[in-house]
Amino acid sequence: MKKIVSRRGFLAGAGAAGSMVLLGCDSTTYLPPVVRGGLMGAADVLTMATHRLLLSGQPLAQEHDVSEITRDFPTWGNTNPRQEDYQSLLQGEFVDWRLPVGGLVNRPMSFSLDDLKRLPPRMQITMHICKQGWSAIGQWTGPPLLEVLRAAGGVTDEARYVVVATYDGWYEAYDMFDVVHPQTMLAYGLNGSDLPLGNGAPVRLRVERYCGYKNLKFLKSIDVVASVAGIRGGTGGINSDNDWHWYAGA
Amino acid sequence: MIAFGYLVVSGVHIFLDFPELYWGKVGFRGHEAVFKLSDWGISWDEAGDMGDRRWGRNYHFLFAWISVINGLVYVGWNVWNKHFRRDLLPSRDELSQQNLKADLVDHVRLRTPESKTEGRYSVLQKISYVIVIFVVSPFMILSGLAQMPAFTEISPELIDLFGGRQSARTLHVIGMLWMILCVLIHVFEVFVAGAVNEVRSMITGKYAIVREDPE
Repeated sequence: MKKIVSRRGFLAGAGAAGSMVLLGCDSTTYLPPVVRGGLMGAADVLTMATHRLLLSGQPLAQEHDVSEITRDFPTWGNTNPRQEDYQSLLQGEFVDWRLPVGGLVNRPMSFSLDDLKRLPPRMQITMHICKQGWSAIGQWTGPPLLEVLRAAGGVTDEARYVVVATYDGWYEAYDMFDVVHPQTMLAYGLNGSDLPLGNGAPVRLRVERYCGYKNLKFLKSIDVVASVAGIRGGTGGINSDNDWHWYAGA
Repeated sequence: MIAFGYLVVSGVHIFLDFPELYWGKVGFRGHEAVFKLSDWGISWDEAGDMGDRRWGRNYHFLFAWISVINGLVYVGWNVWNKHFRRDLLPSRDELSQQNLKADLVDHVRLRTPESKTEGRYSVLQKISYVIVIFVVSPFMILSGLAQMPAFTEISPELIDLFGGRQSARTLHVIGMLWMILCVLIHVFEVFVAGAVNEVRSMITGKYAIVREDPE
């Protein structure tokens, strides 16, 4: 008799735990937009799902002391997009730079640098980690991405991904889990000055939980979409189009 | 073993793409390094040509998961069937200075120790297995996690525990060298003790002991 009760108790407990997992979240939070085939895809899902579970409380990234700031912040990858439209903006000191925020927002609009500076800014001293292995500490200033989307009237119910494109031809999609994080920001300042050219002037994206390759530089446009299908390679980013990890937290 | 090989090779590919090691939180090209491959005659460009970081990262994470799952099954199974407690944990007697010394002399002289003839692990063998399974393996997993940007949010304490992100990376490499050393010694000892019999025993659990019984 005792045995039956305990087994029933166990089954009930397991059932409750299972339904909590099912109810507690949208399964897309745990999956990249396109899962690669085979074992590689299984490993991607394991990594992303584990991290997202551990991040479910949306903890803030560690902030460092002012004394720990890397003064000569390294520049890496593309340090000066050769594209003509970018070069002319650079020559005009980005006075004519505009960031269109469109797609599934209620009030599509275009932000100048001054518009962004008028939004409530955030300042954070965090570590930038490159997938190649280097790390440096910088003080970033800019409005949270969420504030920018709010200024554009907020996103509609169908919105699932925010697609960010750059002047040097890069693009990446971010799901709402990353978009709503308070430290996900459009940084126009580094270490108290304007964002230098080599670090992505005039504005770069900061997603602190991701490797550098998903902290895009030289921002050109922001597009809110329901699905990444049909956008370039269709996997939700230039990195995953080229068989890198879409989830960049590892 | 295959997963370990892949982890080493893919890890080397990742390293070749940034062939310097640093200490502390911060490290980048131009920062004071504790190890530079260029000091050993291989320039950044040459190292970059040798390493394929896309292949490296993809396979490193895949085989990290395979190793973790395999390791959990192995540890779980052997805790369940008491293999660890029965055969792997050294007893107090075995840890006596006298026994340790005797076992060390046996190993240095490449003589098969007495314990082996009774189908048991020798004490030094036990100690090194325990260290690899319960110290170095978890160390490699944790120092790997401490390098991930997501862990600046999940557990910055873990990164600080290693003395910073770059220290974790450097210690990860040192841990790898330690494991390679263990594997080399292990394989060497297997050959000393008789390769066919040893490998058969690892897979089947049966080890042939030749007894010189008087008629």
